[in-house]
Amino acid sequence: MSYAYLFKYIIIGDTGVGKSCLLLQFTDKRFQPVHDLTIGVEFGARMITIDNKPIKLQIWDTAGQESFRSITRSYYRGAAGALLVYDITRRETFNHLASWLEDARQHANANMTIMLIGNKCDLAHRRAVSTEEGEQFAKEHGLIFMEASAKTAQNVEEAFIKTAATIYKKIQDGVFDVSNESYGIKVGYGGIPGPSGGRDGSTSQGGGCCG
Amino acid sequence: MDLASRYKGVVGMVFGDNQSSNEDSYIQRLLDRISNGTLPDDRRTAIVELQSVVAESNAAQLAFGAAGFPVIVGILKDQRDDLEMVRGALETLLGALTPIDHARAQKTEVQAALMNSDLLSREAENITLLLSLLEEEDFYVRYYTLQILTALLMNSQNRLQEAILTTPRGITRLMDMLMDREVIRNEALLLLTHLTREAEEIQKIVVFEGAFEKIFSIIKEEGGSDGDVVVQDCLELLNNLLRSSSSNQILLRETMGFEPIISILKLRGITYKFTQQKTVNLLSALETINMLIMGRADTEPGKDSNKLANRTVLVQKKLLDYLLMLGVESQWAPVAVRCMTFKCIGDLIDGHPKNRDILASKVLGEDRQVEPALNSILRIILQTSSIQEFVAADYVFKTFCEKNTEGQTMLASTLIPQPHPTSRDHLEDDVHMSFGSMLLRGLCSGEADGDLETCCRAASILSHVVKDNLRCKEKALKIVLESPMPSMGTPEPLFQRIVRYLAVASSMKSKEKSSTLGKSYIQQIILKLLVTWTVDCPTAVQCFLDSRHHLTFLLELVTDPAATVCIRGLASILLGECVIYNKSIENGKDAFSVVDAVGQKMGLTSYFSKFEEMQNSFIFSPSKKPPQGYKPLTRTPTPSEAEINEVDEVDEMVKGNEDHPMLLSLFDASFIGLVKSLEGNIRERIVDVYSRPKSEVAVVPADLEQKSGENEKDYINRLKAFIEKQCSEIQNLLARNAALAEDVASSGRNEQSQGSEQRASTVMDKVQMESIRRELQETSQRLETVKAEKAKIESEASSNKNMAAKLEFDLKSLSDAYNSLEQANYHLEQEVKSLKGGESPMQFPDIEAIKEEVRKEAQKESEDELNDLLVCLGQEESKVEKLSAKLIELGVDVDKLLEDIGDESEAQAESEED
Repeated sequence: MSYAYLFKYIIIGDTGVGKSCLLLQFTDKRFQPVHDLTIGVEFGARMITIDNKPIKLQIWDTAGQESFRSITRSYYRGAAGALLVYDITRRETFNHLASWLEDARQHANANMTIMLIGNKCDLAHRRAVSTEEGEQFAKEHGLIFMEASAKTAQNVEEAFIKTAATIYKKIQDGVFDVSNESYGIKVGYGGIPGPSGGRDGSTSQGGGCCG
Repeated sequence: MDLASRYKGVVGMVFGDNQSSNEDSYIQRLLDRISNGTLPDDRRTAIVELQSVVAESNAAQLAFGAAGFPVIVGILKDQRDDLEMVRGALETLLGALTPIDHARAQKTEVQAALMNSDLLSREAENITLLLSLLEEEDFYVRYYTLQILTALLMNSQNRLQEAILTTPRGITRLMDMLMDREVIRNEALLLLTHLTREAEEIQKIVVFEGAFEKIFSIIKEEGGSDGDVVVQDCLELLNNLLRSSSSNQILLRETMGFEPIISILKLRGITYKFTQQKTVNLLSALETINMLIMGRADTEPGKDSNKLANRTVLVQKKLLDYLLMLGVESQWAPVAVRCMTFKCIGDLIDGHPKNRDILASKVLGEDRQVEPALNSILRIILQTSSIQEFVAADYVFKTFCEKNTEGQTMLASTLIPQPHPTSRDHLEDDVHMSFGSMLLRGLCSGEADGDLETCCRAASILSHVVKDNLRCKEKALKIVLESPMPSMGTPEPLFQRIVRYLAVASSMKSKEKSSTLGKSYIQQIILKLLVTWTVDCPTAVQCFLDSRHHLTFLLELVTDPAATVCIRGLASILLGECVIYNKSIENGKDAFSVVDAVGQKMGLTSYFSKFEEMQNSFIFSPSKKPPQGYKPLTRTPTPSEAEINEVDEVDEMVKGNEDHPMLLSLFDASFIGLVKSLEGNIRERIVDVYSRPKSEVAVVPADLEQKSGENEKDYINRLKAFIEKQCSEIQNLLARNAALAEDVASSGRNEQSQGSEQRASTVMDKVQMESIRRELQETSQRLETVKAEKAKIESEASSNKNMAAKLEFDLKSLSDAYNSLEQANYHLEQEVKSLKGGESPMQFPDIEAIKEEVRKEAQKESEDELNDLLVCLGQEESKVEKLSAKLIELGVDVDKLLEDIGDESEAQAESEED
């Protein structure tokens, strides 16, 4: 179970766009056509490999309903990556992206990597948002973009891994101070000696603050 | 400040204005100095003073609450630079929120601290403000702020949980405090522990913020189970996070893994000393383990995967080794820890074949002294002085044997009696003794000194070993024990030996009836073994009935008034098993004979009633499980011994019951289910046997014919013999019939008195039911007609009622009229009376005469008056004349004067008329 890095993700977006299904497809490789409404936040985890390094993804799947917004906001800051999901067959979920993005910008750390996902691309006949529009929005706001389908598993794997690869690259570029866990990144036991010098993940950093 | 007036309004409304106004005005003055003072030093002195006053009395707290919050909040908001003021403000707040624990404080008094908490936490902004103070440089500011938040949390938990949840990054800040210096860290731990109680969303965020890593790092720093109360706090927080959240359990398993929690249980070297804190720490860690083993408290079906995965991982991480070390090998661990350990071991292998096999392969000890772990546990069961420990360790064998044919067979294969049982001392040391030998030794230990306690514990284990496993049952039945005194008797099968112990136990019990020895469970446990053993096992029945005394003894036990409900019930079940699993055709030992014996001894109704009594007893009633409330261990520097050792909570609830409360744990759900299903089968089968007695005389029509070549005499003799046989059988049947009738009659009586329902559908019942149904039909028909009649009568009654009402009304108006008449009459009479009363109250004088008299008198009187008047008038006239003459002399116009006087008198008369 050793990993080089651990990344925390959150999945956000309107209710019913398929956030939980994307997670289930990614962690369990299965699709559940009828999924219970997510209450608050659910959790999933999976190991992936990037650049031959084992990387653990801790994924927090949030409830899309407005009533849970105040709770789900608590998860923004500590996340390294966010999957912002809309439903290509429901235009309004695309229209709400700006407000989600605003929320994320306000509560998350500035270096959070955001992946925009147009889900349910298997339902091409009911499409209400074109791929170009999605691309355009992503470009305008500096997001990575993909269309995916939790049902057919198309691009699901890719979306999670591409996000991780982007975060990994940022680490390599020295964007993050990986010793600070509040960015949602943790150096693991079997990890490369990072800037913090391969410290033991389970020991504390000691009393950093002495008032 | 409108806030101030609002607070004042609220408080004023609640308390009225009769609070001591001294305090009010004093505090008001101090607040004034603080908010309006210009000299910084004076303001500081004022706040120090305020702080000490508020910390002293309930009244001051009330007074502060009425007006102080806006001032203090103002300081915290706008004067952050003035450290002293901020500290003072925080200390004052803390004082206002801390209940004053005076002995003299009356209960009726309003709790100012509670009131103030309510006021402060009402505004979510205040909480946000406090949370922001956690980022201050100053140690005391953070320290006091944490304490204030904890105090608020204690007093108004839900509101604070909500407020913190809605404050962006609120929980993050609290989590950061766990990395602060020790004092702050400990405060933050307490705060988080309260905060995470029953708040799922907060639990998740806390976990998201890396709580697991932080908790385990603190535990490690503090020295694991050897640490102080901080370790206990950490574990309580951990337990709050894991208790009801399978998602958090998965997260722990998938990220940090279970090693950190398992390693807390690891004892370093040989531990002789278990301080009370260490005991509590270990118990808390065991509770965590137990949560992981059991998955979520309210697991939905089909969601066991988390539970099973947890169990697998726990065992992979060598949990079993540590548990065995703690519960079995470490002789100094407190009983409570050992019991909890056994419970965890039992649950760990429950329904998990792989873990079961791992446990079976574990050996304990070193070098040549190694011994299978299961043997060590058995030894503890046989030897421990604690009943709780026996029950807890028994649970391990229960879960080990459940649906584990191979394991049972493995254990049973060692059941080989030793030729000459040596003295008991060897039991203690001999690690080479096999499981079976030890068990047999335990079973027979009662032989020497009458110690049936050990025997019954061994019996309990044997019942797990043979449960649902025919091979093991047969194997155990074949065991023949030598007589304790070889010269005296013949070898005796194990089964019969155990029945004999049951008899010994019941005779001992009845002898001790008067003593205060208390409740025992020996007979119940031995009966449990016999009942379990006999299920589906005709050989066992055969073995039981081989001795005639057994049946007699059992019948006596069923009817023994000195035995408990449970003993009688289980004995009845065993008796029933002798019927349903009876394959014997031997006269006197077959099912029919047993039923016959029951019928003769007590009658079937009385026999069946034993089942019901037992089902209604506390051990079998479905409501027996006490609600599993979560109760944290008390957090004290030195937890009391009593609390740690307090294991049998159920004791209170079963007070006054004659059966031992420990049976609640020993009679598990599957045994109770077994007894219930046996009961149904027994009823059916007994009725079946009873209603179809086997015929002694076979009637073949051909036999009745005269055989060819048979002479008349022989034929007659043969028929005669045949008739004689039939006659005796008829006699028999008549006797049985009479017995049945009696039984039915008594059951009918019982039913009437108890209203209890008979479950088995016997022929008798059917007949009775038929007649009852007929009766019911008749009755319901009758009821219908009665109802119709009733309706008719009712309608009649209502019309009558209406009429009556009308009549009443008429009557009323009549009587009113009469009344008014009477009243009028009365008035008239009154009038008459008063009229009469106006005259002399004397007799009835002649009115006319009186009138006459009066008239005369009046006439006379008026005449006299008239005369007087005339005299007066004469005198006046002479006076006038004299005066006129005099006036004329004086030269006055007399006529004019007289005229004037006449005018005046006229005017006077006029005014008088008005």
